Amino acid sequence: MREEIFLGNGAVALGLLEGGCQVVTSYPGTPSSEILPEVVRLMKSQDLDTYVEWSTNEKVALDNAFAAAVSGKRAACCMKQVGLNVAADSLMSAAYMGTRGGFVIISCDDPGPHSSQTEQDTRFMARMAKVPVLDPSSPEEARAMAGLALELSEAFQIPFILRPAIRVCHARQNLEWGDLKGHGPKASFERDPGRWAATPRFRFLLHRELNHKLQEISLRFETLAPYNQHNLEPGKHYGVGIIAGGIPWSVVQDILSEEERRDVPVLKLGAPYPFPQGLVDTFMNACDRVLILEETDTLIEYLLRDQNRVLGRLSGDVPSEGELVPEVIYRVMDQVLKNHGLEGLRDSQDTTAGKLVEILELPIRKPTLCPGCPHRASFFAIRKARPKAIYTSDIGCYTLGLNLGAVDTCLDMGAGITMASGFYQSFHKDGVEQPIVATIGDSTFYHSGTAGLLNAVYNDARFILVVLDNQTTAMTGMQPTPGLGIRADGSRGNAVSLERVIAGCGVNFVEVIDPYDIQGMTALMKKAVQYVQRPDGGVAAIIARHPCVIAYKDQAVLQKKQVKVTEACVECNFCHERFECPALYKDEDLGRTAVNQALCVQCGVCMQICPKGAIVEA
Amino acid sequence: MRTMTSVDFILAGLGGQGILFMTKVLAYAAVDKGYKVMGAETHGMAQRGGSVVSHLRLGEVRSTLVRKGAGDVVLALEENEAYRNIPYLQAEGQLYANAAKSTFPREAVKSYLHKRGMVYRSVPASEIAVSLGAPMSANLALLGFFSAYQSHPVSYEELKTTVERISPEPFRAVNLKVLQSGYEQAAG
Repeated sequence: MREEIFLGNGAVALGLLEGGCQVVTSYPGTPSSEILPEVVRLMKSQDLDTYVEWSTNEKVALDNAFAAAVSGKRAACCMKQVGLNVAADSLMSAAYMGTRGGFVIISCDDPGPHSSQTEQDTRFMARMAKVPVLDPSSPEEARAMAGLALELSEAFQIPFILRPAIRVCHARQNLEWGDLKGHGPKASFERDPGRWAATPRFRFLLHRELNHKLQEISLRFETLAPYNQHNLEPGKHYGVGIIAGGIPWSVVQDILSEEERRDVPVLKLGAPYPFPQGLVDTFMNACDRVLILEETDTLIEYLLRDQNRVLGRLSGDVPSEGELVPEVIYRVMDQVLKNHGLEGLRDSQDTTAGKLVEILELPIRKPTLCPGCPHRASFFAIRKARPKAIYTSDIGCYTLGLNLGAVDTCLDMGAGITMASGFYQSFHKDGVEQPIVATIGDSTFYHSGTAGLLNAVYNDARFILVVLDNQTTAMTGMQPTPGLGIRADGSRGNAVSLERVIAGCGVNFVEVIDPYDIQGMTALMKKAVQYVQRPDGGVAAIIARHPCVIAYKDQAVLQKKQVKVTEACVECNFCHERFECPALYKDEDLGRTAVNQALCVQCGVCMQICPKGAIVEA
Repeated sequence: MRTMTSVDFILAGLGGQGILFMTKVLAYAAVDKGYKVMGAETHGMAQRGGSVVSHLRLGEVRSTLVRKGAGDVVLALEENEAYRNIPYLQAEGQLYANAAKSTFPREAVKSYLHKRGMVYRSVPASEIAVSLGAPMSANLALLGFFSAYQSHPVSYEELKTTVERISPEPFRAVNLKVLQSGYEQAAG
């Protein structure tokens, strides 16, 4: 045994390997991205032959892991909560078909949200798909639940969802661990078309089978201590009880033990669906009122039938948006206890600190593209060449192009392209040729760019597509893309050419440029404009290719140019508004812009953008 | 310091300042001493130059986050981030910042800290790190400085052992030097 401080996602990885998981697939997305790299690290440390892959998207990840489970192996796929939307079609169907080997879908939620477009609750996806879900309250529990999910999935022949929220994924906890299992059943396939290729008539039967499984699992969940359990004292009746799961349960436990409160019982629901009705009834019968503390939405609240005695989001006692951080839970508990004739909590919350911080007017630290980021150069050229365009964009670091006025929309993965064609058709229908420039990153393009691009070409949409190819999945921590051909375990796969994929979608204008050459890129953009407007033209694709300065520290800036700002600077603000490099700052003593040499990566791109020519080589 | 079951830290700064490494040093030093460790980090978009906060809780706790108004110590690698995280401190909590001694803290803050009985200390951690040729190591200078005043939950010697163990080889010597230099700033 050894002791190590694990990231929550590492604890999940550990649980999977301890549970004999042989196949793990994933598409990166905060807060799930570290699970697969942690699987790789742990399997390599013990020479396991686990199969791992970065899949092109979450649906692909789910399907691949599902097939492994159908072949009898234990398998898992990992994604963020909105990734599960992409895989929803597979999930719904896989629930009916069931599994042979244990199959766990790990979908990480992001209450807040910190790094997502929605605060959606994966537990509702579980309910919709009719798939059991486990909701860990700590890294240690996530580890145990990953193994338990594999085991129960195999026992009941049904996919399981493990839903760690961000405060589990990105938590740290010290854990002891030892040897990992590296073996398991060999792949086999037994033909059973009524299951694996079921037609609607058979689907009805599978649905009935699924409902039976859920009934059995619901009974199992009634006694699934310590994940589902209450601390009622026999025969005692309470004014207020609390039902909680996941991270909110941990916070409630800390508060009650800090305050030495024994008059408030807690029912923990770490396995909330299928709903353990009997267990919940017992708890409800012992309490006048029950406060529900769950993230992120109202699953438990909806499943409780006796709404008259329930306090939660629907009754207005718990906030309906944002994370349930400890101070929020503290406030809610204090208020609810007082409202129902019990003693409030001891620690009076000091509100003056918050007011102090407000008065200080501290700088708002909005995230921004890194110094030397090639996207910044691309966006500058795009705005320069096509100032009146609608800029549809996508999910990735480059969403930050909105700081530069070069991103107008960001719907979901792939919508940079689909919204571009949608805007085009809407304006075109009215006889208006609206300029449109779509931006999408390389990883996002491989994830879900092609279907939209095929559609745009097929329906003769006209816009410029700029694929921002920094040769990595940067925002989520530098995972490789299909364009590189490097696989999840570091081994070589086959690189898939972006140019050929785009051309294969029917695009006849495909040009590659290094965006550090702003003049060249601006000229190419203008050439693309002409092509888009030609009667026999179409979608024009530009691949702006330059490696990410973080992922490729030594290769991204080959010719270093130390720059300075001369007295020609008139502080017009142009560079701050349109270029926003963190290494350029307003020096109040000098009365002009200056270069922070500690942050500057010496890419020299800024020398091309100053209207006064005040940024020069030092 | 509150003698509860846990010691609760907030480590704050900007993306790229090494908040996570500073957390790791403190956490491993505590684990070596037999503490249970729980913490929460910032990943994703906020790391692109945004405010970064790391929660570290040593002792018998379940929640990964420190509750506002209940924290024991804030260690901030940037002055404004120090102010931003004051709400995490309980009365008589301690605030340590990477900032110039002459200007820290701002007047408006000073009276608040006094009123709440809070301890505040600053050290020019970035300057120390730069002068030792390791501009990215202000985190260790601040940690060394802190440990000169607080040997609970971990002492300077214990931090030193941990830095020695977990630093990547090329940075080990300079990391130790920066840690020591921060420590000596307090003594001097």
